[in-house]
Amino acid sequence: MNFFETIINYIKETYTDRLVYFPSNIRVSLLIILFCAIAVLELYIYIAFRRLHQASQNRELKNWKEHIDNMLANLIIFDESEETDDIVAHFYPKMKKLPLRNSVVNKVLISEMLTYHRNFTGQIQEVLSILYRKLGLDKKSKRKINNKNWEIKIEGIREANEMRITEMADEIIKYTDDENALLRMEAQAAYIKLSEKDPFHFLDRAQERILDWHQVVLFEIITKNKQLTIPPFSKWLRSPNDTVVMLCLKLVDHFMQFDAADEVERLLKHHNPRIVKKSVEIIGKLELSDAEKNMFEVYFDQPEDIKLEILNSIGKISSGNYNDFLASRIYSPDIKVKREAFYAIKRDPNNGEDKLREIYKQTTLENQAIINHVLDNRIKS
Amino acid sequence: MSKILIAEDEVLMLKALEFKLKKDGYQVDVASDGRQAMEKVKSNTYDLILTDIMMPFVGGMEILSYIKNDPIKKSTPVLLISAVGLENVVLEGFHLGADDFIYKPFNLNELSVRIKRYIKQNVF
Repeated sequence: MNFFETIINYIKETYTDRLVYFPSNIRVSLLIILFCAIAVLELYIYIAFRRLHQASQNRELKNWKEHIDNMLANLIIFDESEETDDIVAHFYPKMKKLPLRNSVVNKVLISEMLTYHRNFTGQIQEVLSILYRKLGLDKKSKRKINNKNWEIKIEGIREANEMRITEMADEIIKYTDDENALLRMEAQAAYIKLSEKDPFHFLDRAQERILDWHQVVLFEIITKNKQLTIPPFSKWLRSPNDTVVMLCLKLVDHFMQFDAADEVERLLKHHNPRIVKKSVEIIGKLELSDAEKNMFEVYFDQPEDIKLEILNSIGKISSGNYNDFLASRIYSPDIKVKREAFYAIKRDPNNGEDKLREIYKQTTLENQAIINHVLDNRIKS
Repeated sequence: MSKILIAEDEVLMLKALEFKLKKDGYQVDVASDGRQAMEKVKSNTYDLILTDIMMPFVGGMEILSYIKNDPIKKSTPVLLISAVGLENVVLEGFHLGADDFIYKPFNLNELSVRIKRYIKQNVF
């Protein structure tokens, strides 16, 4: 005890009585040391309190989690012969007793209800959705959607999406063109599922890019959702946003929307080569013979990959109208162009293979090798 | 009383399945990861095994493969739970001898009926 008292007295004296007699550099150093010592002490106290708080929160979380786990597990194993309303009436009073204002309870309950809703089908989903609303958790999701923090917004959108809170669609549409890509993507995916009136309305207002991988996500949602009414996607093929055009072209292709033929043909003159290439691919796949002329007209202005796609599409259409053009391509200096031209000739239903054999007799050695390759049915084009 | 092993790493799902199957009158053993499940499979005999495909340490496919290559345990029906319906995963599962696939999300009552059917088949 005396030892500590001596040290404390020494420090006290140093800073009160003797400080003024030290040279200025020592004084500054002593003050810095004092400041650092106080800062470190405060930091330790803060860390200790934080750990204590976290430990108590974890204990609370564990207790509530177990309680909520059991409650929900009991809820989902109800007798299938019971009516949805009866199950809700049985569990609602129990769940209502939970201290939902407590953020820990709230978080655990929402997360577990979402997990069950995501993993089970049938009456369970309906019961969970009704309870979610009755407990006022939908209002909390709405508040999250309107929060300033984008991460919380996303959390709210996910909750609304999973629980199918359709009335949130009007709130979510605001974020479908947000400059934050993650928020925008989450909002678009949710809007398609939640909007009952016009699930594709976000495409009308989309000015921001729909990223490639998000196009894949949207494509999956649109093509796998059996409840969606599929609109004619040609409606958005004139969009000033290239990524909207691209997504819609993929959907025109998937749903084989022949009504979009004129719009797809128009896109052959689009400034974006990726859109031109996709249009050519669709023209070939849907065998839009009316577009053959336009493809021929744009052919010479296109980069190599689009030229190959055009030859491929002409081959798929196989109208025979461009046989001379295809025959001229077999003398192209580019071997890929030659190969594609030979494949296109082969696809001609009017003896395409015989035509290749005819050409074989009078062409170069290199072309003969390509023809052998093309005629070998074991090799796929 | 028929004995079932449930192997699932998602605690919430594990609990729900456990509650449901216990309610259906089965004796239920649970494993929250693949390694635990493998140990239980090696040291016990079950009438049916319900396992998730994706689990830490040891996957559902490895458990399936072990059971179907064991001369004594190979007749135990194995039902795989999967969130991914990828064709190659399904094919691999059936090649290894899986009796059925359950895709998430699934109907708990339907699962219950399927389990009852497999246990009945295995008993007679």
